[in-house]
Formats: sequence, structure tokens, C-alpha cells
Amino acid sequence: MTEQLRKPAIFSVDDPRLVVAEPEDTQRAAVGAMAIPETPFERMLGTPALPVRRMRWGALFWSALSGLILLGLGVAVTSFVEELFARTPWLGAVGLVLAVLAGSALLVLIVREAIGLARLATVGSLRGRAAAIIESDDRNRGRALLADMLSLTRQIPQLARARTQLEGHRADIIDGRDLVRLAERELMAPLDAQARRLVVSASKRVSVVTAISPRATVDVVFVLINALSLIRGLAMLYGARPGTLGVLKLFRQVVSHLAVTGGVAVTDSVLQQVIGHGLAARLSARLGEGMVNGLLTARLGLLAIDLVRPLPFYDQPRPALSDLAGTLLRSSENEAEPDPAGRPKPPGGR
Amino acid sequence: MTPIVSQIIEQARLAARALAEFGGHLLHPTVRLGVTGLSRAGKTVFITALVHGLTRGGRFPVFDALASGRIAGARLSPQPDDAVPRFDYERYVRAIVNEREWPESTRQISELRVVIDYQSLSGAMRTLTVDIVDYPGEWLLDLPLLDKSYEQWSAEALAHSRDAARRTLAAPFHAHLESFDPLAPADENAAIESARLFTAYLQACRDERHTLGLVPPGRFLMPGDLAGSPALTFAPLDLPSGQEPPAHSTWAMMRRRYDAYRDVVVRPFFHEHFARLDRQIVLVDVLGALDAGPEALRDLQAALIGILGCFRIGRSGWLGALFKPSADKILFAATKADELHHTAHDRLEAILKRMTAHAIARAGDAGAEIDVIALAAVRATREAFVHDQGGGLPSIVGLAAPGERASGRQFDGKTEVAVFPGDLPSDVASLLAGDAEANRKPTRVRVRNDGFHSIRFRPPALEQTADGIPALPHIRLDRALQFLIGDRLR
Repeated sequence: MTEQLRKPAIFSVDDPRLVVAEPEDTQRAAVGAMAIPETPFERMLGTPALPVRRMRWGALFWSALSGLILLGLGVAVTSFVEELFARTPWLGAVGLVLAVLAGSALLVLIVREAIGLARLATVGSLRGRAAAIIESDDRNRGRALLADMLSLTRQIPQLARARTQLEGHRADIIDGRDLVRLAERELMAPLDAQARRLVVSASKRVSVVTAISPRATVDVVFVLINALSLIRGLAMLYGARPGTLGVLKLFRQVVSHLAVTGGVAVTDSVLQQVIGHGLAARLSARLGEGMVNGLLTARLGLLAIDLVRPLPFYDQPRPALSDLAGTLLRSSENEAEPDPAGRPKPPGGR
Repeated sequence: MTPIVSQIIEQARLAARALAEFGGHLLHPTVRLGVTGLSRAGKTVFITALVHGLTRGGRFPVFDALASGRIAGARLSPQPDDAVPRFDYERYVRAIVNEREWPESTRQISELRVVIDYQSLSGAMRTLTVDIVDYPGEWLLDLPLLDKSYEQWSAEALAHSRDAARRTLAAPFHAHLESFDPLAPADENAAIESARLFTAYLQACRDERHTLGLVPPGRFLMPGDLAGSPALTFAPLDLPSGQEPPAHSTWAMMRRRYDAYRDVVVRPFFHEHFARLDRQIVLVDVLGALDAGPEALRDLQAALIGILGCFRIGRSGWLGALFKPSADKILFAATKADELHHTAHDRLEAILKRMTAHAIARAGDAGAEIDVIALAAVRATREAFVHDQGGGLPSIVGLAAPGERASGRQFDGKTEVAVFPGDLPSDVASLLAGDAEANRKPTRVRVRNDGFHSIRFRPPALEQTADGIPALPHIRLDRALQFLIGDRLR
């Protein structure tokens, strides 16, 4: 045997070298733990990867353009303030103060947006780490993930009790996979129920408004605004707290996911959608359109959940369109609709 | 011819019983939990901790049904078999909590029924009944005898006793064997003497911690109420091959008694308690074997392979479940994991995985779900870190059990010590391979002395609160429960 095995040793408890709480890093070095190759999480998540952009010419263009506009704005403001000074000194002073205020507010806004984006990225990386831990069952990384989850959800008041409980379990010997499950059950499950409610109410709104709206343009605008606010609400719910840019980014991701998965998702619930749509359409064409829009919003919301939830769906049931569609059909048609598929209803689903 | 007939009869009986119970189980869902483990593997402690945790609402974060509050309560209930003693749960809890002693080794079979009241995920109130059986681990060694004839067993037992490691222990028995003609007319006194010497040899094997004494028949070591009966008065013989025993010879008598032992003692035990398991946990004291050296480890592995081969494992359809019940989830647990720092648990699991690879592969083929964990049903230690020269040592702190020795010190059961038991080898294959060279050299002693040495600890001190006993600390008992019965509580 080539490996170096350390010999047994015995120490008395009052030995000064003895530390009861061991530092994580030394501990990890001590095991000689095997390195577990990182598995790309996109593959395990079940959500399809976004199409890879090879050249970021578009990004370059927009960055350069906005830089240019900012520069122009700056020059214009500077010259405007100089002009004011030339006219009357006190007017110039007021202008300067206003310009400085505007500039610093812009700076704060930019920083806030950047933090929001970073938080969104953190959520994504947490999900990736959780997926890797589920695969490898690594205890130390599970503990680190749990700590990060606790700090991410510190702002969510309804999880106070769950957080306290998890804090209590941090010292226990629990394996990585179980830690992820634990975190999901304690921290995510209550939020999942609320997320379902958010999605259902948003899609109800959309289907009702579509059914009664006088003009198609009103529909489109309403659907768009509603979708954005739904995504924002979901992101806030799961603790991602993205800024405006973050919401827009999420929206773009959701829409591009929708483009990729649209076909797949249609096949898994096509029957029930046809039935739902058919029934509704028979009652009224308007109502049918409302249904379609509502279902679209619901699917959009589900995709958004996948993107903003810091943990992948591992042990908890992933909300499916069929869960929500039942509620939706019943509520908008006001008639008894058979339960779509024999799925167990999520506790907070209706 | 007869074995086939008797087997068919047995199968028919089992099927009839399973059918009869099926109706009852529709009304009262029942899980028969098979706690399998050789002696000193920790069966009694496991059952006690499990029942204690369930009835007292232990700290089981990973056990979903309990942690999410769906279990309304669990209670002990009268067991189904009137002829089997009750598992003395209260006494064992007292021993662990009050006297801080581990329960002494089990001498008798006993049984316990726990009824869990829970609310299913869909909201209905349900009950789940869990039947657990405790028994002396020695008896488990007999299971491989079910498929062996007297001649087969005799040859194997003799070959085993002539191993280099056991030869000295078996010397008196061998001497007696020399003077014994299997073809001569039967002599009761000689048979008694032979059985006595053989039993003495088995006892010596077991007391010698090096080899862990994994030699059947197990009732010789733990006779229960059968001590002195003819079914326990036989011994292996040096038999000529390719011959039939002459009538009234010693050989014929021994064979008849062996058959009686198999059919009257072993088969009922197996069929009563193991043939109809739903879930199985196999407890293995890997650390004890590691302490004793590679030879003990290989012995343990061989014994496990033999025993696990007897169980019915695998997923079956509803018709199969009706007539041929089998365990569809098997958990292999390396017990006493609290004698190691948790950073060493992965290696412990790797060793166990390797040792039971055969059984795992078989269970996997049969469609059963498998998991391997390091477990401590009652955690007697806490963890610490010693900053020694040459890096730190992940150690454990606990009250060493009286009589334990380490580095020339003997403990009185009152001193707390911090122990680093040594690194577990990561190269499991070479540890277990039947290395002929390693066998000849006295590696056993070398490994025992400086490779790895774990120490037993006394049960942990608990503060008694006003509302009863607080939950016992544990390592991964909740994970074991989740795996074993979690899906039945959905």
C-alpha cells in the first residue's frame, strides 16, 4: 500500500491542542477527500440549456451605443451647466447641484442593478451546486450550500422558523444529498406553494382580461405587463430580488426557454389543453382566446420558477401545468371540469 | 428427493400464509422490517433507538414524515406472535439512558410491534404497523446450512478448523476426531463428547477476537432452550467420499441429527422471521473486524455472502407480492460509526460497499433498491480536532468503555478521552483480496497494533428534562428510517 495512513493516537480531554469545533478547511484537507468532477448542472436540471451565443456582437453593439449616449449626455449636461454659469452664477450653482444629484442617483441605480444581476447569478450557481451535490453526495459542499441558502433567505420573513431549525441541524452529521433535501423541504416548500398561487392568479387575470378586452393591442400590452410583474414577483419570492435589468434578463431567458421547450411542453399536456380549449371555444371564441393566453402565462410562470428557484426540484414535486390548468379551467369557465390527470394536488395549489 | 418435496411443501405453506395475511394488510398496512446482523453488530441498540425515536419523536431531520409533522404519534402494540417473547424495549432504554451501559448480548428471540399514526400526503389519517424481530446474531450463521447436506457441511467445517489460524484452537477436537470411526456403530457418549469438544472449539473461535468466530452452527454458541437436546449433539466427521452411511453407524446418527437440526431448528427460524420480509437492514460491525485484522474482515465478508444469499430479495409484481414476498429495499449499514470522525465515514462506507458487493449486485439485478451508509443508532461521542504536529487529527471525544485498552492504558469507564483511531485504508481491494502472501506473514498482528484501532465508548450522558427523556443522539438513523419506511408513510 502506497498511501500514508496516520497511526491511531489518544489524547486526554484537557490537552491544549484539542479543539472541539473544527475548522472546515483543515478538516477537508485532512480527509484527503477525493475530488469530484463538477457535472455541468444544465444537463441534470432538466431545463434545456439556452442556445449558446458564439459571438457577442450584439452585446458589444449595445454596450458601445449606451456608452456613447452616456458620454453625449454627460457632455451636454456639462455644457448646459457652463451655459447656466455664464448666464447667472446662482443659476449655475443650482444646475451643478442638480447635475451632481442626478449623477449620483444614476450611480446608485447602476450599483443596485449590478447587485441585482449578481444575486440572480448567485441563485443560478446555487442551483448548479445543489445539482452537483445531489450527484456526488458530498458532505462538506452540502454544508457550504446550506450556509449560503440560509444567508440568501435571510430576508424572507416567513422562513424564520425553518431557518432556526436548519441552523440547529448544521452541526449534525448529515450527508450532502440529505442536506439538499432538507434545505429544499424547509426553505423551498413553503415558497413553492406561494409561487403556485402567484402563477395561478396571474394567469386567471390574463384570461379574464383577454376575454373581455375590446382590442387585441390591449391584450398584448396587458399580457406583457402581467408577465413581467409575475416574473418579478416570483424572483422576489425566492429571494433573488433582481433589479429592473434583472427582471428583463429573466424575461428574455424565460421567453427563449419557452421557444425551446414550447414544443415539448405542448405534447405532455396537449390533450388536456385541446379539451380545455375546445370546451371553452365552444362557449365563446373570446373565452377560448382567454384560455390560451392564460395557459401561456401559466407556462411562463412555471419556467420562471425554474429559473429563480435557488434549488432544483429534487424531492418536492415540481409544479406542472396540469396542476394549474385545472384551477384555471374551473375558475374561468365556472363549470365542473374533470380533474386533469390523476396528479396529487399540491397543498397550496387551490 | 425428500428435500425437493419438503421444499415444495414449505413454499406452499409460505404462499398460503402470505395469502392469508394479504387481506389483513389491506386493512392495516404492515411493514416487516428485517434487522439482520451478526452478533455484536448492534441489532438491539438499533431497534431500541429506532423505537425510542419513533415513539418519543426523536430528532430526525431527514425522516420526512416525522420532520414535516405528518406523524401524529407512534405507540407500542401487542405483537402478533403469542409464542415469542416481547422485545424488552423499556429495559434496554433504561440501560442506555440511566446506567449508560450497552445492552448485553441477546440470548433469545424477541419481537416488537410499533404502530405509527400518520397523515398521508393527500390528507387521510392512516396507520402503519412495523414489526421488528430481535434475535441472537449467532443464529444467523445457520442460514447457509439450509441448502447443505451433512456431508458438505462436515467437509467444510473440518477444512475450516484446519486453517492455520484455527488449528491450535481446534486441537482437542481434532485429537478426539482421530479416535473416532464414522463407520462404527453409533455410541451416544462418544457423540456427546465430540459435540462438546466441537462446541468448545466454536466458543474459542468466538472468544478469540481475531477471527470473530463466524462458524456455524450458531445454536451451539447460543443454544437458547435447546441446550443438550439431540438436535444439538452432533459434530463434523472425517468421512470417506462416495459412500453411503451404513445403518446404525455414527455417521448415520450424526447425519440424522444434523438433518433434524436443520429442519427443526433452522428452517422454522428462517421461515418464521426472514422469509417474509418487506424491508431489510443489514448491520455490519466493520470497525470491529478492522480492529481484528484483514483475516477477520475476510471471514466477515464470507459469512455475509453466505447469509445474504438466503434472503429473498427483489421487486415483484402484485401477484408475486401475494405468493412470494420479498424485500424490495435493502440498507447496508456499517454500525458504530460514532467511533470515527465523520470525515472517515466515506471510507467506511466504501469498505462495506466492497464487502457486500456480491449481495449488492444480486439485489440490484433483482430490482431491489439499495443504499450503503455509516450508521450510529446511538451516538456516544462528539467530534474534535487535535492540532498535532504534522497537521491536525480529526478525533472523537467520549467516555471510554471500561476494559478498553489503547496505547498501554486500560480505561476504567470514567475517563473522557479524545481518540484518533487511525486512518481507514482507502485501498479496499487489497485489504479484502485473499492475499496468500499476506496470509502467511503475521500481518494480522501488525495491522492490529498500528494501523487502525477503534475504542468502544459508553452511551452518551443525557440531561433528563421534566417531560421525559430527550431524544438519543444518532448518526444517520433518520436517513436509514427514511430509506426503509419513508415511502410507506407518503
